[in-house]
Amino acid sequence: MNRKVTTIFTLIALLLAAACQKETATPPGNENDWVYNPTPYNLEVPAFFPLLDIPSGNPMTVQGVQLGRMLFYDPALHHEGARACASCHVQEFSFSSDPEVLPHINLAWNSAFLWDGKVQGSLEDIMLFEVKDFFKADLGRLEAHPDYPRLFYEAFGEGGITYERAAMALAQFERTMASGNSKYDQVLRQEPGVFLTDQELNGYDLFFTEEGDCFHCHGGILFTDNEFHNNALDAEPEVGLGAITGSPFDRGRFKTPTLRNIELTGPYMHDGRYATLEEVIDFYSEGLHASPTADPLMKALPMGGKHFTGEEKSALIAFLKTLTDTSYTTNPSLSSPF
Amino acid sequence: MAKVFTLFRAGLLTLALALSFGCNEEEASGSLLHLNFNHNVGAQELGLNDTWYNSAAGHPFMVERLKYYTSNFALENAAGERIVIREVHYRDVEKPDTRTFEWKDVPPGEYTALSFVFGLDEVVNVDGGLPNTTTNINMEWPLPGDQGYHYMKFEGRYDLNGSGVIKPFNLHTGATGNNQNYVDVYLPFSHPMKLSGGTWQLNLSMDLNEWLQNPNTYDFEVFGPMIMANQNAQQVLKENGGSVFSIGAVEKE
Ligand code: HEC
Ligand code: HEC
Repeated sequence: MNRKVTTIFTLIALLLAAACQKETATPPGNENDWVYNPTPYNLEVPAFFPLLDIPSGNPMTVQGVQLGRMLFYDPALHHEGARACASCHVQEFSFSSDPEVLPHINLAWNSAFLWDGKVQGSLEDIMLFEVKDFFKADLGRLEAHPDYPRLFYEAFGEGGITYERAAMALAQFERTMASGNSKYDQVLRQEPGVFLTDQELNGYDLFFTEEGDCFHCHGGILFTDNEFHNNALDAEPEVGLGAITGSPFDRGRFKTPTLRNIELTGPYMHDGRYATLEEVIDFYSEGLHASPTADPLMKALPMGGKHFTGEEKSALIAFLKTLTDTSYTTNPSLSSPF
Repeated sequence: MAKVFTLFRAGLLTLALALSFGCNEEEASGSLLHLNFNHNVGAQELGLNDTWYNSAAGHPFMVERLKYYTSNFALENAAGERIVIREVHYRDVEKPDTRTFEWKDVPPGEYTALSFVFGLDEVVNVDGGLPNTTTNINMEWPLPGDQGYHYMKFEGRYDLNGSGVIKPFNLHTGATGNNQNYVDVYLPFSHPMKLSGGTWQLNLSMDLNEWLQNPNTYDFEVFGPMIMANQNAQQVLKENGGSVFSIGAVEKE
């Protein structure tokens, strides 16, 4: 009898303690004051960009985007607190930096991610991979944080902090990372006083005809086809997409990178082998290597390349530079919130 | 005012149709038609990447990708009356969900032929003529002075006269200048297809060899890997396009 009573008392004590602990762990500003009433976010899609599929389970909200932006810039997301997404994905360089770091630009229109296509699906899918598998985020650290429990509540309501919600917030922020204000875009929109120079126009003609034939892979308004190709870099290509599919026919196929802001994202190719755009164009001009999976769209493969003249090379580069959008790399709403 | 009148007429027509359907519900119900597209090379089923096929011009070839548009499907009866759906269908052999499309509420009747456009007609084949999706954007035909979209991307490699020298080919068809180059495909049924409701499977086959041989022999080596601005090559493919499709089994479920 006595024992039972003691047990009950102990239990009550424990419960109280637990409740107290929760009190102390709860950040300043009473939980009861938190409000879940997210404001719809009005996403501006650049002119001529394709229709954007936003998953119905993750509508854009001001609170979600803001939370995503904080997580992107906060080392607290990393399991050791060692680095933030933004340590490698640096705005000034179109959210790229070291060799191999893929930029973040218009990823909302992508459906296949990473050089070898390891993650396919929506932005939510790739962000879940980044948060959980790559950063091995420590949710306890976020729960103990003075602000995040409230910010997650304001963005997503009851249900606490989860990997999925962190990924959803990052995906919302990523959807705001749209670049469509390069000189090329301004010309497309026929903005007064903006024209391509003769050289840029020659580059455009090369790019969008079979003479240069870049557009079959890097074409359209996004300057990527969102597919995987072996662009004939090597006679013995690295495995690429083949590592994911296991198919020998996918050996050497890599994600086609967008050429928007390409001026800012060197060095180039999945292994960063080319330091400059000049080297890249030299490769397409003279440096192709045959291999069993070299893409048929590398139409000049039997001749080793397109054999551009010096003028043509400069024209192509001049055109590529019209895809630079510095209003994107300086956009204050994409910068660090801290 | 004219617009209002048209609307009014359309309204009446719908009413009339609704009434006529209402009267003999049993017989007059529409059919659901599944059009299934299969792809083969001669007698062999198409396999991407892993199979080499013989071509009429003597170069063995393999296929890496096949994407194309068909549009304006129509069914015709013995009296020559046609029902048409002005829709565009995209097909990518690597994406199984693009290989079938559903034609809903096909009116009852005895149909003697199926026809469609391989590619896009001049109304649709203009810049921005199709919905602005990434798929359609990837099919754009951006050559300065030209319009619209690729009708087909049939891409692969050939083995020059079987010598072991491997070269790329890209049969990219589309409009050049004023040449629209789309193909009017007309396929009579061997027995009239009598539709009176229910779900039907209509199987169609594209024989890739026919692009390369009938009536003209298409030689990869002669036309080279770049044919977008080559109207001779486009003309040969347009002429060969008429025999590329055939109707297989027509079955009611
Ligand atoms: C240590 C540097 C580094 C950090 C930190 C980092 N990334 Fe990356 N990121 C990379 C590299 C390198 C790649 C390309 C890797 C590959 O393709 O295998 C990449 C690729 C990506 C891609 C794919 C882009 C595309 O075009 O397919 C996304 C999305 C991404 N990172 C998001 C994030 C997010 C979100 C974070 C933070 C949670 C993050 N990254 C942190 C280096 C980093
Ligand atoms: C067959 C498809 C294809 C064609 C055609 C093609 N590319 Fe590429 N391009 C790719 C792929 C795939 C990569 C990435 C390859 C890798 O890293 O292994 C790439 C990489 C690049 C890069 C480096 C991008 C980066 O972020 O590192 C540039 C610049 C580039 N291409 C420009 C061009 C130009 C200019 C042309 C026309 C002369 C062209 N490409 C034609 C598929 C293609």
